[in-house]
Amino acid sequence: MHRLRSYLTAPTSIAPLAVFRVLFGALMVASIIRFAAHGWITSLYVEPTFHFTYLGFGWVQPLGHVGMHALFAVMGLAALAVMLGLCYRVAAVVFFLTFTYVELIDVTNYLNHYYFVSIVSFLLIWVPAHRAFSLDVLRKPGLHAGRVPTWAVDIFKLQLGLVYVFAGLAKLHPDWLLEAMPLRLWLPAQEHLPLVGPLMTEPVTAYLFSWGGALYDLTIPFFLLWRRTRVLAYLAVIAFHVCTALLFPIGMFPYIMIGCTLIFFSPAFHQRLLDAMRSLGRRPTLVRDGRMWRPSRRAGSLLAGLLAVHFALQLLLPLRFALYPGPLFWTEEGYRFSWRVMLMEKAGYAAFRVQDPASGRTWEVANYEHLTPMQEKMMAQQPDLILQFAHYLEDYYRTQGLDDVVITAESYVTLNGRRSRPYIDPTVDLTEVRPSLAPKTWILPFEAEPSAQTDTKDETTSALVSLP
Amino acid sequence: MDARPVLSRTRQRRVLAGTTFMLTSCDSGGANDTPDEPPPPEEEGFQRPDLLANVGGNLIVPAYGLLQTTVDGLASTVDAFAADPSEESLRAAREALKASRLAWQFTNLFQFGPAESVVLRSALNTYPTNVDRVEANVATGTYTLGSIADRPAGGFPALDYLLHGTDEEETMMLFTADANAAARLAYVQDNAAFIKSNVDAVVTQWQAEGGNYTGTFLSEDNAGIDVGSSLGMLINAMVLHYERFLRDGKIGIPAGVRSAGIPRPGTVEVPYGGYSLELAQANMEALERLYLGVGFNGVDGLGLDDNLRALDADELADDIVATLADIRGQLDALSDPLEEQIEQNNDAVLEVFTTMQELVVLIKTDMTSILGVSITFQDTDGD
Repeated sequence: MHRLRSYLTAPTSIAPLAVFRVLFGALMVASIIRFAAHGWITSLYVEPTFHFTYLGFGWVQPLGHVGMHALFAVMGLAALAVMLGLCYRVAAVVFFLTFTYVELIDVTNYLNHYYFVSIVSFLLIWVPAHRAFSLDVLRKPGLHAGRVPTWAVDIFKLQLGLVYVFAGLAKLHPDWLLEAMPLRLWLPAQEHLPLVGPLMTEPVTAYLFSWGGALYDLTIPFFLLWRRTRVLAYLAVIAFHVCTALLFPIGMFPYIMIGCTLIFFSPAFHQRLLDAMRSLGRRPTLVRDGRMWRPSRRAGSLLAGLLAVHFALQLLLPLRFALYPGPLFWTEEGYRFSWRVMLMEKAGYAAFRVQDPASGRTWEVANYEHLTPMQEKMMAQQPDLILQFAHYLEDYYRTQGLDDVVITAESYVTLNGRRSRPYIDPTVDLTEVRPSLAPKTWILPFEAEPSAQTDTKDETTSALVSLP
Repeated sequence: MDARPVLSRTRQRRVLAGTTFMLTSCDSGGANDTPDEPPPPEEEGFQRPDLLANVGGNLIVPAYGLLQTTVDGLASTVDAFAADPSEESLRAAREALKASRLAWQFTNLFQFGPAESVVLRSALNTYPTNVDRVEANVATGTYTLGSIADRPAGGFPALDYLLHGTDEEETMMLFTADANAAARLAYVQDNAAFIKSNVDAVVTQWQAEGGNYTGTFLSEDNAGIDVGSSLGMLINAMVLHYERFLRDGKIGIPAGVRSAGIPRPGTVEVPYGGYSLELAQANMEALERLYLGVGFNGVDGLGLDDNLRALDADELADDIVATLADIRGQLDALSDPLEEQIEQNNDAVLEVFTTMQELVVLIKTDMTSILGVSITFQDTDGD
């Protein structure tokens, strides 16, 4: 314990942290510009009439056309300020809050790499990343520090390591390893690529990518930590992420990882990087020397506690799935916030049947009248969202003057190339189910006899048309 | 080299039987196969570009060609009717309208690219038509066909109302003896011309000498399966049309599934001409042809089924074929006018809706999953 403490508080160069700040800020600026240029602010946060919220975060609502664009503008300026090291602490807090607020608006936009960005920007709040190579130092030279405690750099390595290792552990799944799913479904889509195209249809390529990907995720943090393998490992990082960028529509994520993993390199390397950057601007060297930054004793223990809680959560959240009975991929209970990246090809269709006890009538909801295609697609394969939509519909029909309708869902989901199967118990009135983290007993079991399923399907669909 | 189209025998057998609506059924392949010739391997070298070439060249472009021919005919017969309104010329105009509306069923699945940029479906076929607005437009003579406000007062459904009306004698009277007769005739002509100009614009866009969208559709850049790719757009457009405009628009909404269980027979596609069911059947046939890759030349080329089979999803491919056949059978058991069918025996219509629902699951969920095509219409990131 003592050794760990003295390791974490030992001085190290601030250079890796400064480079990390600049790169992360720059990547965020680019991401936000790209996001706006695609028109996604409008299509994801202005146009939808209904948003799927996170449990306990129902109060996070979009801010309208002007409000959302203003929010993104503030977020972009904050990212720019982080990059430049200008009013850094404020900028880091503002960026974390605005980015996280946007991500909390709608669950159907959840991406692991957005979660990653939220976490990294949270961690950045607590480190003195602006005390070198920043406009803040230029303004107030007294802020400058050449050295920081080791933890200020290593928390990012630990966070990255957790991301990779959990992503790797998640791949140790029969579908991924034994069936090469879902890559076997996704790779053939790239058969038109020059040179490598024909290889994409070969199952052996899918197996190679599956096993290679798992091995990469599980080992890369360690090879990056070890000085002797570091350069080779970083080349692997570039190759791996560029490869995924070419093959899959995953946006900025590969570049964010390529940028962030640079932090594993030595202080001397980062110092050379800073010198190179500085020579462009002909600024005097400021980093190499200077005092050591340390938090006050009180702030230090508060920070230690905060980071201990943070990393404990980071360790436990991805494992919470073990508390639920069903197969994780099927029920998705404990799936999010766990670095389960590109693990499933899942698609579903959910038809909601409404019964009005007052009139005895039964009808079906046109989901597309309430949801965007993207929302509809995500909703149909995630039970908590199916439930949320049913509750939204209950409220909707109440405003139409129909009190206490019964809403059931007839839904089918296909997972990793298997034929679609019934998903939600079509006999359960979802308006009577309270949203909670408790296991969802109304999800139908994954392993049902195919023939039995056909029978249920016929029964439920014929029941669907029994009008008065 | 043998220039005869290489077709698998299994596919030959699946060529649609019995549905021969206006498409020249050309018996290719099957009959002149020599028995001792080894059957070509089923999945040999399935290539997505070949699928796109078949769909583009043998389905989409000819379908637009047919639509263009029929709406040309519609415009000229309507002009003839306006020049000399008679029972005979009215009948000719009605027939031309029906031919156009049937041809439309073979193009409305393709609302992407040129058709999307002129919002062809909304312009041509927004129904039910707003009778009051049609009458107001006729009376005032001020309207902008294609504008959002006049969409429900124009296109095919407006012509259905104007040319058929509710009463044979009254219809003829409105075109001849009524005070607004000339304005009414002009409105009919304007609509036919409007339909024609929209269709012409889209056809030109597809032509090599026009916008060459065919080139874009078949280009290597668009050969993938991402959201902007040709297959991505094709399948997204197909699924959207099927779900909203075929299953719901033609069957579900009139049968009441979207109106709290209360049937709305007045919302059928052709409430005055009385051939709504026929249009639904033609639209299903178009979907089936697209799925199987059966071109206007009658040749069963590469379709989505072949793509599924090339990915070893034969069972799914067969199930979709079977469900399509089920729907066809159930539709055939109904009778036009659909609104009377709904009033007399809606259960049979709801049965079709249910089977159509099964097909949604198969094509929107299972098929897209196997093909790797994302149903979103939005180009967002995944992870």
